[in-house]
Amino acid sequence: MIVTRRRVLRIGGVVLAGLAGTASGSTGGAAEIAMRGNEDGSDVWYDPVGLHVRPGQTIRWTNHDAGNAHTATAYHPHHAGRPARMPPDAVPWDSDYLLPGESFAVTLLVEGVYDYFCLPHEPAGMVGRIVVGSPPVAGPPPGDVPGVFPSVEQILREGSVRRSRTAAALRRRREHFVASCIS
Amino acid sequence: MRTSLAVLALASLFASPVLAADGVAKAPPEGEYRKVSELVKLPDFLPGLGQLYVDPATLPAGPFLAYDHDGSLVSTIYMLPVADLTNKDKRFDDLAAPGGAVDHVDVYLNAGHPGVEMPHTHVVLWHVPAADEVRVAK
Ligand SMILES: [Cu+2]
Repeated sequence: MIVTRRRVLRIGGVVLAGLAGTASGSTGGAAEIAMRGNEDGSDVWYDPVGLHVRPGQTIRWTNHDAGNAHTATAYHPHHAGRPARMPPDAVPWDSDYLLPGESFAVTLLVEGVYDYFCLPHEPAGMVGRIVVGSPPVAGPPPGDVPGVFPSVEQILREGSVRRSRTAAALRRRREHFVASCIS
Repeated sequence: MRTSLAVLALASLFASPVLAADGVAKAPPEGEYRKVSELVKLPDFLPGLGQLYVDPATLPAGPFLAYDHDGSLVSTIYMLPVADLTNKDKRFDDLAAPGGAVDHVDVYLNAGHPGVEMPHTHVVLWHVPAADEVRVAK
């Protein structure tokens, strides 16, 4: 049994709850995102990659990849100098590295589109998008990578979006991967 | 009796593959090698690879030395960033190879992990037969 360590921070419009280990029985109402990888480590992803939640609903990432560590890190200048890709009045989060079986949770209160990435796996296309509430949709957010991020419209329509396996999506992810590697 | 024992010992010596260089056949390897899971946040035993040791000065290429659950060396791994492999001004020269005889080689992509945080290629020199790769499968 893994002992649960819990730290809860309240900062402005965001509530952060960091969890190490598995918080059994405390998943009620939380939206779950799995961090996954294939057997040889050549492919890594969030499942689902796109998620629609209501303001104040907890989102929990859990590392289900036995062979790697992952992060869920908001696009924000505080994090590796990335551009902000979240509502301006929301507070960015960073899970830090999660080992297999470890979880991290965040509760987002500000409506809007939040993009996040995995620190070591952004070049490999390990990114995700969360839509909180029903923000006005005005075209893709800055820095959008079609085929890597699901569209806001699709997330609002379907609630939860898994990675597309169409040939076109696979090709766009491969192009993104190659471009990230050589830039 | 004594003679046959000596012959047996001699025969087994020749039957065994080229031995790994002194000090790396068993974990922990001697020298500047450190356990990867103590250098960065990674599981101690990586499915498909094993328990890894590396000299931090040689990152990212390595060699990484991989051991099974009994602490026996199974492979030597080089981790070569894709960006470097497509850069005409970048070379990997004179990488150490202390693991002894190589049975076969695997080459495949890895998306990255703490320690080598970018897409890279694993070049795995297996020191055991393919059938024995299961020793580090999980
Ligand atoms: Cu990752």
